[in-house]
Amino acid sequence: MDIEEQKRRRSELRYVLHLLRRNPLVLLGSALAIGSVLLALVSPLLVPANAWKISNFEIQNCWNNSLFNWHIANIATCPAGKVYPLGTDFYGRDLWSMIVVSLPTDLTIAFEIVGAAFIIGVTLGAVAAYAGGIIDEGVLRVTDIFFAFPVLSFAIVLATVVERTFFWLTVAVLVIWWPTYVRLSRSQILGEKEKPYVEALRAMGAGRIRIIFRHLIPNSIYPVLVQATLDVGGVILTFAGLMFLGFSPLPQIPELGNLVNIGISKSSFVTAPWVVIFPGLAILLIALGFNLLGDGIRDILDPRLRR
Amino acid sequence: MTTTPNQSRGAEALRISNLRLIFHTYAGDVKALDGIELDVSKGEILGLVGESGCGKSVTALAIAGLLPENAEVISGSVLVDGRDLLHMDKNEVRRARSKDIAFVFQDPMTYLNPVISIGSQLTETLTDDRKTHRSMLLETKARELDARIRADPSDSKAVAEKARIGMPDAKLGGREAKRLARLKAIEYLKLVRLPEPERIFKMYPFELSGGMRQRVMIAMALMRDPKVLLADEITTALDVTVQAQILELLKVLRDEIDAAIVLITHDLAIVSEVCDRVAVMYAGNIVEVSSVEELFANPQHPYTRGLMAAIPRPDRASIKLESIAGSVPDLIFPPSGCRFHPRCPKAFDRCTQVKPPMVETKKGHEVACLLYGG
Amino acid sequence: MKLYEYVIRRLILAVFVLLSVSIIVFWLLRGPLPPETALAPYITPKMGPLEKLQLARTLGVATASCPSFSAFTSRAAGCIVPLYQQYFSWLWTALHGNFGYTFLPGLAGTGTTTWQVFSGRFGYTAELAIGGSVLTILIALPLGILSATHNNKVPDHLSRLFALLGYSVPIFVLGYLFQLVFGLYITVPLNGHALGLLPISGPLTTNCAICVANPGTVHSYTGAPLFDGLLSGNPAYFWDSLVALFLPAFTLAVTTIAALTRVLRSSMLEALRQDYVLLARSKGLRERVVIYRHALRNALLPAVTIAGLIVATLFGGVVLIEIVFAWPGIGAAAVSASLNFDVNFLELYILVTALILVVTNLFVDIIYAKLDPRIRY
Repeated sequence: MDIEEQKRRRSELRYVLHLLRRNPLVLLGSALAIGSVLLALVSPLLVPANAWKISNFEIQNCWNNSLFNWHIANIATCPAGKVYPLGTDFYGRDLWSMIVVSLPTDLTIAFEIVGAAFIIGVTLGAVAAYAGGIIDEGVLRVTDIFFAFPVLSFAIVLATVVERTFFWLTVAVLVIWWPTYVRLSRSQILGEKEKPYVEALRAMGAGRIRIIFRHLIPNSIYPVLVQATLDVGGVILTFAGLMFLGFSPLPQIPELGNLVNIGISKSSFVTAPWVVIFPGLAILLIALGFNLLGDGIRDILDPRLRR
Repeated sequence: MTTTPNQSRGAEALRISNLRLIFHTYAGDVKALDGIELDVSKGEILGLVGESGCGKSVTALAIAGLLPENAEVISGSVLVDGRDLLHMDKNEVRRARSKDIAFVFQDPMTYLNPVISIGSQLTETLTDDRKTHRSMLLETKARELDARIRADPSDSKAVAEKARIGMPDAKLGGREAKRLARLKAIEYLKLVRLPEPERIFKMYPFELSGGMRQRVMIAMALMRDPKVLLADEITTALDVTVQAQILELLKVLRDEIDAAIVLITHDLAIVSEVCDRVAVMYAGNIVEVSSVEELFANPQHPYTRGLMAAIPRPDRASIKLESIAGSVPDLIFPPSGCRFHPRCPKAFDRCTQVKPPMVETKKGHEVACLLYGG
Repeated sequence: MKLYEYVIRRLILAVFVLLSVSIIVFWLLRGPLPPETALAPYITPKMGPLEKLQLARTLGVATASCPSFSAFTSRAAGCIVPLYQQYFSWLWTALHGNFGYTFLPGLAGTGTTTWQVFSGRFGYTAELAIGGSVLTILIALPLGILSATHNNKVPDHLSRLFALLGYSVPIFVLGYLFQLVFGLYITVPLNGHALGLLPISGPLTTNCAICVANPGTVHSYTGAPLFDGLLSGNPAYFWDSLVALFLPAFTLAVTTIAALTRVLRSSMLEALRQDYVLLARSKGLRERVVIYRHALRNALLPAVTIAGLIVATLFGGVVLIEIVFAWPGIGAAAVSASLNFDVNFLELYILVTALILVVTNLFVDIIYAKLDPRIRY
């Protein structure tokens, strides 16, 4: 590395550090996001994967963590012996363990949905933008139709007809989610394809597929990546909402939204609020982490491009 | 367009003394201005020349108090009409900007608000701050009444109103101010030779061409009757023919108004066309000041000489174009002593140690170079 | 393109979109599900298979040549009326305002046709959505401007954190949390026992600390208690409805406040960076004028475009809020309908929400075109 290269790298690093120092929240966000993924990965080590199937109705909806007092009249106290840090749920399962077991489920579903929506949306949007004409018009009209549905409403309709399995519910949310990526990718490619290097590539005889996938998409992908990061949080919220409404395959399924559901429908929220609040807090922290991460990436990438 | 232009000519309108300014950035402190000394008289056009990044625009912003937050004035004063703008509180500086200092910027497309009509943008200073511009608005009213009286000498209402204007408690309502501001705006649109000024008043910026927009900006600046007009690269974004028109306009206006005009540019040709005096700037310092003829006939500072040699001239077609060796210095770690010494063909030892002071070599011709003293 | 040409073009597009929506929803709800789901709301316990077959024929789902009810349910060939035919007959009756029957219970005093149940409940949802929108604008506008003008200082960091939290919180949990805090924890001793500060469920409660005990009655003009109270001139009723509306509307608005604040902040920052702001300052205009007249007018344009998105989010969130706060609106009804395969109600529900969304987007685009003189459609 010669001196010029070294200087450039050092000034870039300095710039990133400067941004991080101005934006401590980004560090927090990254920590939360990465932390939740790590926790999900080690979850089978902490809690046996089948722990959610075991019910123990004798210790249902109880609390014995002395660190926090709910100040509620008829709280059930768990028997002494094992301390349940976040209490137990309707089925007598340790809530903390349930949350840990839910993490891989929720995160996997979220990544699947966002990943698939990203791939489908970006490809379709890029092809539509590059091809123009009737293909473009057609794709736009289709996205128009999808944008006429509010997300949760359409999810409810879809959930009515599909089998109540995680696979089909994932597909249901995916169907609603991909149009955003089509539009975003399309507007990015529309701007990118006017750049002079594209004409140069065409003059050199490069094929359309090659131009789109090897040049146009990689050069304009950053805002879409930012959106994808932000959407991980959004998808988790939507999917959990769907589960909360009662579309879960089985009542005992370890999924954060479903945990909230059994906290409401099967327990009384008034006497056992922890069953609702802690899964909710978990959802909040995960969504917060990815939102902060997405914001941070956008901040780092964006002004740099303008600099 | 004001009362007696010739009376106040020659008086000093702007004096900058020892202005030192740094910008605090994440990469370090940029020593942008290193002791600027400048003075401009009423009715004169001073050209401020230099390469990009030498600090010309920064000087202008410093005069108007429009520096960004990370700028810090280390020392110096900016006297406009005798008042030091650097040591006044923010409100007074704002009022000075409203009345005494006017800016014309480079790119009229981006400097005019796209969603507000031309007319509103022209008149808003006068209508928003009626108190400060009171005398100006009343003057417009007086002239309007004069015109009415001339047309019909028996118009007693007009005479009575005119008499009332002179009184200290003459009232100026919001709507009246708006109407007068509009009259004045249209007057100035005519002054800058724009056709159909009433129509333009109602239009939006995107409906006009670049040259017309620049004229609007000039009208906007002159309308407030400023004492100092700062024109920052006003022709750079225009094409050549329009450029010539704007410069013509400037020459004509110079005779009709008595503001001190600072014309900031990197183009020596424009300077030779329009300016009375020139100040050459390099890396945050003024290195040479003189009248235009003197500078072109007898450039003294090595940097000025380099600039002159780099201009393609038809009468020296056979001589190779020379460029100044090296590149603009990093102002976070500026060269010691004279900031030009790394690129100067005539540099000697002392140049690296001592910052050259301004020395008067001839009447009206000053240089900051150790070759001539200091 | 002139403005009216643009509007006409958009209206045609809107009709196309709505028709497509109806087709898609119809196909989704009638195709994959068993054919007898369409009959569910009409079946009485005493019906035998022959009567059910007759019912299926009357409803237009079974062909006249279908031999038996069991053939119908097992989708025997020639027994089921083709879906497109079913669609057109549905469309025809729908255009006459007839959406069939639903087996969702109507609210007291309303019947059981789908339209009656829907319109009886619509007022409550509208109240929530409007309340949420008003709160969104009232809170997000000043917050976004404050954030931009104090960029990177404490107010900015705080409002960004608040916006971020609002964007990440699951509003169904937040709703319960608010109920816990305002209904149970914060109490005011009154009449011998402690009452929660705010009502925690239902659109009209008299059982909270700041409620009026006997608000009287109102005439039902709109079906929404807030507006009915206003139109009937009953301030106590109006007050009680308002107080009951606050918590659900605020919970609903949390996400949209976050989104709008964020957009407003970034577009204000962008606007403040522009050259015309420098010119405005150089003219000696007061800072307040620079911000509100020059920067904000430009910053509002991108913010207006996400108004459509905000309405969409509100309509989605309304479903969750209605469940959490026991609000008798169409969202909660839709969930019930879904869990019970009540296709008539779902079709109407989706159609109306799509209609509102499409109209809102059209409205927003027109406003945008009027605000920005550069756009000459």
